[in-house]
Amino acid sequence: MPEVAIQTQKLSRRFGNLTAVDGIDLQVATGQFFGFLGPNGAGKSTTIKMLTGLLAPTSGSMQLLGLDFAAHPVEVKRQIGVVPEGMGLLDRLTGVEYLQFVGRMYGLDRATTQRRAEELLDFMQLADRPKTLIADYSHGMQKKLALAAAVIHGPRILFLDEPFEGVDALAAGALKALLGRMTERGTTIFLTSHVLEIVERLCSHVSIIHKGRLVAQGSLEELRAGISGEAGSKSTLEEVFLSIVGQDGTERPQLEELSWLM
Amino acid sequence: MADVTRPLGLFNQIQLVAELRWRVLRNSLRKQSSRLDLFGLVLAGILAGIFVVGVCLAFFAGAYTFISEGRPNRIALLFWAIFVFWQLFPIFAAGFGASFEFRTLLRFPLSLSAFYIIGLAYGLAGFSAIASVCWLFSMTLGAAAAGLSVLPAMLAVVTLFLLLNVTLERLIGSWLEKLLSRRRTRELFVALFVLAMVSLNLINPAVNRYGVWLRVPALRIVPYLAWLPPSLAGRAIASATQFHLSGFVLGSTGLLLYGVLFIVLLWRRFANQYQGEELSETAAPLAAAARSAVTRKEAPDRLSALSPQVAAILRKEFRYLTRNSFSFFTLLMPVLLVLIFSAQFVGKHPPVSGHGVSSEMFFPGMMAYLVLILMGPAYNCFAFEGRGIQAYFMAPLRFREVFLGKNLMLLSVLAVEIGLSMAMLAWRIGLPSVPMLIATLAAIVFAVVGQLTLANWSSINFPRKLEFGQMRGQRQSGMAVLMAFGAQIMFGGVSAIVLFSGRWTGNPWLPAEAFAILAVAALGGYFASLDPLSRVAEEKKEVLIEALCH
Repeated sequence: MPEVAIQTQKLSRRFGNLTAVDGIDLQVATGQFFGFLGPNGAGKSTTIKMLTGLLAPTSGSMQLLGLDFAAHPVEVKRQIGVVPEGMGLLDRLTGVEYLQFVGRMYGLDRATTQRRAEELLDFMQLADRPKTLIADYSHGMQKKLALAAAVIHGPRILFLDEPFEGVDALAAGALKALLGRMTERGTTIFLTSHVLEIVERLCSHVSIIHKGRLVAQGSLEELRAGISGEAGSKSTLEEVFLSIVGQDGTERPQLEELSWLM
Repeated sequence: MADVTRPLGLFNQIQLVAELRWRVLRNSLRKQSSRLDLFGLVLAGILAGIFVVGVCLAFFAGAYTFISEGRPNRIALLFWAIFVFWQLFPIFAAGFGASFEFRTLLRFPLSLSAFYIIGLAYGLAGFSAIASVCWLFSMTLGAAAAGLSVLPAMLAVVTLFLLLNVTLERLIGSWLEKLLSRRRTRELFVALFVLAMVSLNLINPAVNRYGVWLRVPALRIVPYLAWLPPSLAGRAIASATQFHLSGFVLGSTGLLLYGVLFIVLLWRRFANQYQGEELSETAAPLAAAARSAVTRKEAPDRLSALSPQVAAILRKEFRYLTRNSFSFFTLLMPVLLVLIFSAQFVGKHPPVSGHGVSSEMFFPGMMAYLVLILMGPAYNCFAFEGRGIQAYFMAPLRFREVFLGKNLMLLSVLAVEIGLSMAMLAWRIGLPSVPMLIATLAAIVFAVVGQLTLANWSSINFPRKLEFGQMRGQRQSGMAVLMAFGAQIMFGGVSAIVLFSGRWTGNPWLPAEAFAILAVAALGGYFASLDPLSRVAEEKKEVLIEALCH
């Protein structure tokens, strides 16, 4: 198993005149629980889309599990699981039908697909509505199903875009335990979330992207150490994040400007 | 302390809603694809303008003639024409309307009366209302030109009629919205609506066959129509021209009562909406049944000859077909169309053509028509995927497998439909000669497989998202429609020439042989196209995802 699960070189993506992702060099080790952070519009989702084959990079290259994505897209996709932005569900199928569909698309045999679908639906507490279409699921249920679909083939890298958004506390707890167990067994998890407490609790390593550029990368301790002053080592991830993102002179919203509201 | 807003005047609120509608339209034109559609909209606008002005002249002439020639009772016919158009056109045209949810205004601090009046004003902004108002105005001018004394009565009746119609149109729209708020009902409604429209074609053969029997019950209904709003409006005007005050009062009072009734009903509907009526189907979730999602014993895989990916897509397509009531119901259409056309054009005394069309010509013609309507959806085959399109790009497969799965499903449906239609034709008029039968079947293979290649290309390049069972805002991509049209003309033209070559040369087997060669060529072209199309799909994936996910 390669030591580096995800590696990018000068990965960029432009939309017309806008450079959404600007030459980032990412490196994620195998088995890491990796947090990918950034403010709104920083380029997080664009990066995930490129890493999962949903968007072609304008320039640069990327290797997943040692394979060049551009040269071996099918082999790479076989080994990754994705919960994309918007979840990508086929909403006219039932939960079990969707999992069976995804399992077969990843080449699992019917018996394995069926067994895993059943186990995943039970785990996600979705098994009690066998005939309900995904279109009629709540947002949280759809999220859980998207997660189940992302892991049904046992991926070696899991990309999660806001995976806990809308998921109830009970299920979220079980999911976090499951993800933790997966990383112990060598699965790499690439997570983006705006809830920094979750990232701080789950992730061992973090990257921060801002205005399309990677502005910080390392373990949580390394990032904390990067903050000057004695308080640095005791900082929360939120403080580290605000400190790093605010370094380029980006002004944080001033409450005083909304005095009419207070 | 936050500022407290001041209540906004009703006029300002209506103005804001009008501005909102304008901005929605203007912003929708920012996209390149929408700009292409603008051309169609402008063209449609010009044609609609010509139509409205033309009909205005007809209504002016009609009203003038009826009153000046002493036949004022007939003016009710003009009111009937406007009434039917005003009430039915919005239902027919729902598919082309701007998708703006009027109910979204409820989040703002509007009073119920403001909500009601804005609702009515919104109703007056539709094409049917604007056209109808123009026609009523023309009628008034025509009546006044024939006799100025009728003008006051005309103005009073037309005002009442206008108010009544706009209220009724909003009321019907509001009831339909409630009825169609559930997905299943909506899909069934759309399907039944389309079937009903197609079934209108059966009226002519039915009248020809049973017209004498239907005449008496039909005439019995006529007196009851006299108590409906258009007849009442006509009666009021006719009485006014003859200076019969009682008739005018009766007609006007009837209109007023209808107006009040519709206003009360509409007020109650809007009041329910205003108070937060929940139409969403997820409002009352089903009670959870504690049972396992997968309880079936594993059955043998009937699709084991296919790759897992193609089999998975085929199964998914079948499930989507069965859950799309509209598509499912339209599968009845081919057989129904065979019935309709065979009733109209074939037999000893066909009502339309006068002399019957031979089965030798009718059979290939009917099959060509079925291929034409059944192949239409293939040109935008990802329309119903929505966000699920991402699943194809995330999965470890080449897009050729997606095409194979989807095309196999379409071919299966086509095979079933054509089989059923052939059975219907055999029952109704009999099958053609063996050479013609084989030539037609080979021509179907040629036309369908040949079109699949073009349809797959069109689906990647001109995708347009469609929602299951919705009428409002559902429009195919203009380019995909154009592509389908062009391809079908091309394949239809080639097929017709080949088919007639048998007659011209006197060799009945020539078309069959030619079509067999063409079919093999089309199959070869299809399989050769799958890999290049996979590459195009990879290049165009952003276009596809953008078009279908948003």
